[in-house]
Amino acid sequence: APALSAARLPLSTGWLPALQFVRRGSKAVTRHWKAMHFQRQKLMAVTEYVAPRPAVPPRCLTPRKERVEEEDNGYARLLRRQVEEVFRDNRMIAVCQYNSMPGEDMVLMRHYLRKHNIEVKFVLNEIVRPVLSQSKYKNLLPLFVARNILLVSPELKAKEMLRVLKGMPQINLLGACIDNTILSRQGVENLAKLPSLEVSQGQTVGALALLPSQMSSLLQRGSAHLTALLDEHIRRLQARETGSPAEPAPAQSSGTH
Amino acid sequence: AGITFPERTKLKFMEKVPAVPKVKREPRQLRDIRGPSHEATEFTQGQYGILALGGGYLHWGHFEMIRLTIGRSMDPKTMFAIWRVPAPYKPVTRKSLGHRMGGGKGPIDHYVTAVKSGRLVVEVGGRCEFGEVKPFLTQVARKLPFPAVPISRDGLQQMRQEEEEKKLNNQNPWTFERVVTANMLGIRKYLSPYDLRLKGRYWGKFYLKHRV
Repeated sequence: APALSAARLPLSTGWLPALQFVRRGSKAVTRHWKAMHFQRQKLMAVTEYVAPRPAVPPRCLTPRKERVEEEDNGYARLLRRQVEEVFRDNRMIAVCQYNSMPGEDMVLMRHYLRKHNIEVKFVLNEIVRPVLSQSKYKNLLPLFVARNILLVSPELKAKEMLRVLKGMPQINLLGACIDNTILSRQGVENLAKLPSLEVSQGQTVGALALLPSQMSSLLQRGSAHLTALLDEHIRRLQARETGSPAEPAPAQSSGTH
Repeated sequence: AGITFPERTKLKFMEKVPAVPKVKREPRQLRDIRGPSHEATEFTQGQYGILALGGGYLHWGHFEMIRLTIGRSMDPKTMFAIWRVPAPYKPVTRKSLGHRMGGGKGPIDHYVTAVKSGRLVVEVGGRCEFGEVKPFLTQVARKLPFPAVPISRDGLQQMRQEEEEKKLNNQNPWTFERVVTANMLGIRKYLSPYDLRLKGRYWGKFYLKHRV
């Protein structure tokens, strides 16, 4: 900035200019950003552009957002399709709470369960919830909160599953949907306590077959008695024919009769 | 629609040294960098161009870069490009390295062209869209020694319109122009007489875009 150096006008003729520019600092046009005088900085700060503010702030004018951000990610669609398939294919679906487990324990658990043809699936709540609310499993909705996993299998192996899960305190069974019936934890335990399918089938068959077998034995009792008596008689005649050693036998047999 | 193609569609080769090299060494005269430009601010033949948003000197290396990049990226059959800056004319002296001050002015080292802010550097036109032209123009604009942007005719018009609107709807009652012309608070003691003309939008070679 030009600095003023006051020059006294001499009384004689000839005069000196009122302003004398002193070479101070760099030129006006520099390659770097030249530092402004503080007064100039203040002036620049005061005279900045102030944008006009609308009477109604734009925040109040657009309430139609409503969180419609569907996006319809292809990936989300794929996951949803997978979840639907899972619900359709498998007979037994158990929902468990999943706390962080050491990796090796996780692998062991998966191994044990896969031996019994039970698969472990990790699902995202935000995908499962809309799928469930649209399908008929509305009552499973409150289960899908916080971290959880699904144990799915086409066979009913509740006993093995419970045995495996008992050894893992980090996984807690919340509920299950077995053969389209929703069971709580107690229900699953009761189901596990039931005998297996073949045994129960055999039991029912045996129970059902008991009555006709009894009936048949009752009906045949008369004729069986008759045949037994006749056999006894034949033996006694044969014994009398063979001789006297056979005599005490028919006497014994007649005594026992 | 009313586009006239020049004879040569590619950019002309610019000489390093003018045909008649200058003998007399010229003073620096940095005022050819300062302030807004008054020449080559509007489009003539082309539709898109590179607008300088600051002052600076272009030397032969810049010219070659522009010429080759644009020549490589454009299609000479459908597009054309023209220079809006003259070939380097201003001699720049340089003293040899490692010498102390004094001993007179150095010899002429090279020639440059001065570019003020608001000037068009090159213009591109033809049967093309801004989207096609913009990539290589931004590439060129980034390499220039001053800030530059590629724009179209509409873009330039819009920029000017926005500037005017800003001036009109500025809510601040205190503007640089008003304060300086009335010399409020004796502020002209700390300002240059050029600030009356530049009105706080220019500082040295820089163009302050965000000031009204």
